[in-house]
Amino acid sequence: MELHILEHSLKVASIAKEGIQICTHGLIKLAFLPSKTRCKFFSLTETPEDYTIIVDEDGFKELPQSEYLSVADATWLALNVVSGGGSATSSQPIGVTKIAKSVIAPLADHNISVFMLSTYQTDFILVRERDLPMVMHTLSSEFTLLRVVNGETVAANCSGVTNGFVKPKLVPRPIIHPLSSPSNMFCVTSLDPDTLPSVATLLMDVMFYSGGGKEAGAQNEDSGHIRFFSFSLIEGYISLVMDEQTTRRFPNNVLFTSASGELWKMVRIGGQPLGFDECGIVAQISEPLATADIPAYYISTFKFDHALVPEENIQSVIGALRTNESTGQ
Amino acid sequence: MSGSKPDILWSPHHADRYVICDSELSLYRIGAVGTSEAKAGALPLSQETAATLLAINSDTPYMKCVAWYPKHEPECLLAVGQANGRVVLTSLGQSHNSKCKELVGKEFVPKHARQCNTLAWNPVDSNWLAAGLDKHRADFSVLIWDISSKYSPEAVPAEKLRLSGDADSGMVVTKPLYELGQNDACLSLCWLPRDHQKLLLAGMHRNLAIFDLRNTSQKTFVNTKAIQGVTVDPYFPDRVASFFEGQVAIWDLRRFEKPVFTLTEQPKPLTKVAWCPTRMGLLATLTRDSNVIRLYDMQHAPTPIGDETEPTIIERGVQPCSESVISSFAWHPSTQNRMVVVSPNRAMCDFTVFERISLAWSSTTSLMWACGRHLYECTEESGEGGAAEKDIATKMRERAQSRYGHDTVQLWRNHLLAGGNDPHLRSLWYTLESLMQQYTEDLEQRQQGNKQSLIYAGIKNIVKSSSGTTETRRCWKGSDRPTDVAQYHSEERSLALQLCGWISRGPEIDVEPFLRSLEQEGEWERAASVALFNLDIRRAIQILNKGASAEKGDLNLNVVAMALSGYTDEKSSLWREMCSSLRLQLKKPYLCVMFAFLTSEPGSYDAVLYESRVAVRDRVAFACMFLNDNQLPRYIDKLTNDMKEAGNLEGVLLTGLTKDGVDLMESYVDRTGDVQTASFCMLRGSTAEVVKDPRVQCWIENYRNLLDAWRFWHKRAEFDIHRSKLDPSSKPLAQVFVSCNFCGKSISFSCSAMPHQGRGFSQYGVSGSPTKSKVTSCPGCRKPLPRCALCLMNMGTPVSSCPGKSDEKVDLPRDKKLAQFNNWFTWCHNCRHGGHAGHMLSWFRDHSECPVSACTCKCMQLDTTGKLQPSDYV
Repeated sequence: MELHILEHSLKVASIAKEGIQICTHGLIKLAFLPSKTRCKFFSLTETPEDYTIIVDEDGFKELPQSEYLSVADATWLALNVVSGGGSATSSQPIGVTKIAKSVIAPLADHNISVFMLSTYQTDFILVRERDLPMVMHTLSSEFTLLRVVNGETVAANCSGVTNGFVKPKLVPRPIIHPLSSPSNMFCVTSLDPDTLPSVATLLMDVMFYSGGGKEAGAQNEDSGHIRFFSFSLIEGYISLVMDEQTTRRFPNNVLFTSASGELWKMVRIGGQPLGFDECGIVAQISEPLATADIPAYYISTFKFDHALVPEENIQSVIGALRTNESTGQ
Repeated sequence: MSGSKPDILWSPHHADRYVICDSELSLYRIGAVGTSEAKAGALPLSQETAATLLAINSDTPYMKCVAWYPKHEPECLLAVGQANGRVVLTSLGQSHNSKCKELVGKEFVPKHARQCNTLAWNPVDSNWLAAGLDKHRADFSVLIWDISSKYSPEAVPAEKLRLSGDADSGMVVTKPLYELGQNDACLSLCWLPRDHQKLLLAGMHRNLAIFDLRNTSQKTFVNTKAIQGVTVDPYFPDRVASFFEGQVAIWDLRRFEKPVFTLTEQPKPLTKVAWCPTRMGLLATLTRDSNVIRLYDMQHAPTPIGDETEPTIIERGVQPCSESVISSFAWHPSTQNRMVVVSPNRAMCDFTVFERISLAWSSTTSLMWACGRHLYECTEESGEGGAAEKDIATKMRERAQSRYGHDTVQLWRNHLLAGGNDPHLRSLWYTLESLMQQYTEDLEQRQQGNKQSLIYAGIKNIVKSSSGTTETRRCWKGSDRPTDVAQYHSEERSLALQLCGWISRGPEIDVEPFLRSLEQEGEWERAASVALFNLDIRRAIQILNKGASAEKGDLNLNVVAMALSGYTDEKSSLWREMCSSLRLQLKKPYLCVMFAFLTSEPGSYDAVLYESRVAVRDRVAFACMFLNDNQLPRYIDKLTNDMKEAGNLEGVLLTGLTKDGVDLMESYVDRTGDVQTASFCMLRGSTAEVVKDPRVQCWIENYRNLLDAWRFWHKRAEFDIHRSKLDPSSKPLAQVFVSCNFCGKSISFSCSAMPHQGRGFSQYGVSGSPTKSKVTSCPGCRKPLPRCALCLMNMGTPVSSCPGKSDEKVDLPRDKKLAQFNNWFTWCHNCRHGGHAGHMLSWFRDHSECPVSACTCKCMQLDTTGKLQPSDYV
């Protein structure tokens, strides 16, 4: 297995819903006019609370400084797991489940806080730049570490320093934060970048206007629906997460759909903003799912975390997590 | 290929069909302009060709890539990769084909939709179609479909087909034969022609990987940025080109660790890279928004050896359709170097890349050039009646074969050896002949050193030193009438006349022998004019009469004789008036100058002196007779300069073989390139100053090189011998010495004459050992020399090459034998075995291995010059 440490230096920011107008110019540029910026990594996730932006340094310059924009005070690096072997082993389990045991759990054991971003194409594990030596040390036994420098992939050698690193404490990970499961179902999809201009206005509408205002969002939440939309444009690849109703607004054949047309349900983690320092949250969720062989997507936002699991599995997921919760308490 | 920019595909089997694909597929047939069916609606592609639209297929939207079925049947079957990852089989204009029908419309659907980047048919198992897709977190990026696979209902549950939107689910295949490349994108792929089970993939994670379908868990891979558009050289299955942005990397699959080399980076990203299918090692690349296709010719680097060797690549750009931007291009599958180019607005252009021409002269005037697969030879026409003059190289070659320049006894014969038809050479060798004659006679008779140098110096220097000139006014011979023509005499003038050939040696000035020889050769006009210049009108008239009555004689000469007999010195006579005006109409120069002489004022003979058609020697002789001491040097100087400028070899008479002569020869060589004549001529110059002149050395060296190039090695040797006879300083010093294995001293006798060896040798030389042993033993230490591997005799040095040694050492019967080349030492530089040259040569005539038993060295084959044969046999 190979672990690629990508060269993007990422910022994680939150834009308050009421302040989105002042940022739309920059966001539209980042999302729809990639040739006009040098940005290679852009993700926008709308939750009922705010907009979470993950963007590299070049892209960050496009955003205006304002009171509505709060930025996590760290630079993040994206890690990407590549199954270098290319073996024709079973494709299940997929996504976060696959890397839960090999990456997420060891990092949690070493008290490294991670920020997850799953896309249609792959999963990115974001770690703080300052944690990198520790990350490399932790994962070097399991992975071939490769670092991308100026577009070239080179072997990253682990410093080999083991002194000073805290011994991992191997404790069971109970689920601490409250969970909720909205009733709407989601699609994880993508589209051909060439067709992006044709649906750009629709996407802008979905991103910035179709929330129906704060009150509407609040109502939706009450009725078990959640306002959740994610758009990312990373190294030229587009990934979209939206609920089923929203997909119906798109013309036929624009969105990529899987042959099986699978739909996903969400598990939302956190009752109050989770912050960035607490570690082990992703591990708490992903490990039980991995044990149960349930595929999942995991999207962290500024305030809360979101896991997506197949609709047919939602009950067993809730069950598994609840068990974990009770054993923890 | 993106939806907007058209791409172009040639049919793999129909050399006249191609498909343009942008938002739809359009099949075209290409044909010559003006063929019957091409008339209506044909799009001109070039001056000769036009394309006709045969069919359009717009069934498959969102096309991303297209691949043409590689087999003959069904023809015109295309696989189209779509933006959502589906691969659809479609066809153009083949609706009646039953086999095709079964396949057309078949869809291959990946589990998770994403863009299909590339498609490739397996070249052998043509049912296999590899599709390279973008990355999906939970799916494979390379799917290999079997197009013959039947729809299997259990593979796709009916309710899951809701998104496929396809009523005829029987045409949908969802189960690929193989899946490769998890969690990665495939940007480009190709099957390896050497092993059709192997697939080369270029993936998103910056690597190139080779998968073997028989064992998909193993792969060979290399990290690189160059992951777009991998393509295998059709002529060299281990050579692969791949590109990234503006850079093309060339790989050798046998040494896959790093690119063999990368081509110079282009400022704009590349859009297409393709090997020419009809020309080995020719790669064409196209960058975005460019109107130039760059071609890289890797002819010189079929197998790069070693890590650091940078193979030679010849890069050039072609601009197929002037200024308009090229969207894509495709090589024609069979016509050499031909391509069709398509611009973004679908304008097409048929274009043949003109092949570089490589050209080579042979040493024997034939010229060869290669253009594409054609080899052209151009040889000089050897027809006898050919109007065109032969090239100087041919002439020199023929002359070298006829031993031109080597007749040192009768120099004038050399012009016959040269073919005898070049007046310049004729004049040159006659001049040299007379110069030499004078020189040798001088030596015999006078033995006075003071004049010798003058004679070789030519008339210019002779007349300069003229002194004691006497002026006489003679009468016309046979009449008492005195002439008002002044004649001048001096010793030097006589000498000059001798050199001109007018008079022979002796105190008297008697031209009669010369006149007789001219008569004999039938040069009537010349004889007559010489007689006239010697104031003998009667003799001149007599000669003319003789000429008119001779066989094939010109009767006009009688008329001239009549005119001549009417000569009068009356200044205002009608005769004089008519002659001076009518003489210009005479075609024969000598007749013309005769009347010019008779009608000119005494002392001003420009009409004679500057009549360029008259031989220089005659004009000079004339000048020596009739110009005074002031006029003569001036005239000679002027004439010399004219000759030098023109490179006229007749001028050698004036310049002799001096510096002036070298100047003259220089302009002759500049004009003709005849270094052969220059070399032979200047070697006779013998004064050190002349032979050492760098120009002369240059001619000599060039002539020797020419002889080498013609493989006239015997001629070269002859020339070198000839040269060393005339110029002893050119004798080459010994460059190779054979040293004794025991004492390390040179074993050659000539070297023993050198002071540092002299003592030792003379010491042993008088010690009274038998002569025989001396020949076969080292003169330094008396140890025997090595034995010949064949005759087992000790080898030896010829005693005869030891000059000045006491007579007792010379073994006369052996001498002749040893002096021959057959007894020379020779040995192989590789195995160090050797023997007598003659023995070795005869051995290797029948054998390839060394004569020493148990030595398997192929000595003769290692000797590259041993295989060359001289082209002149003696």
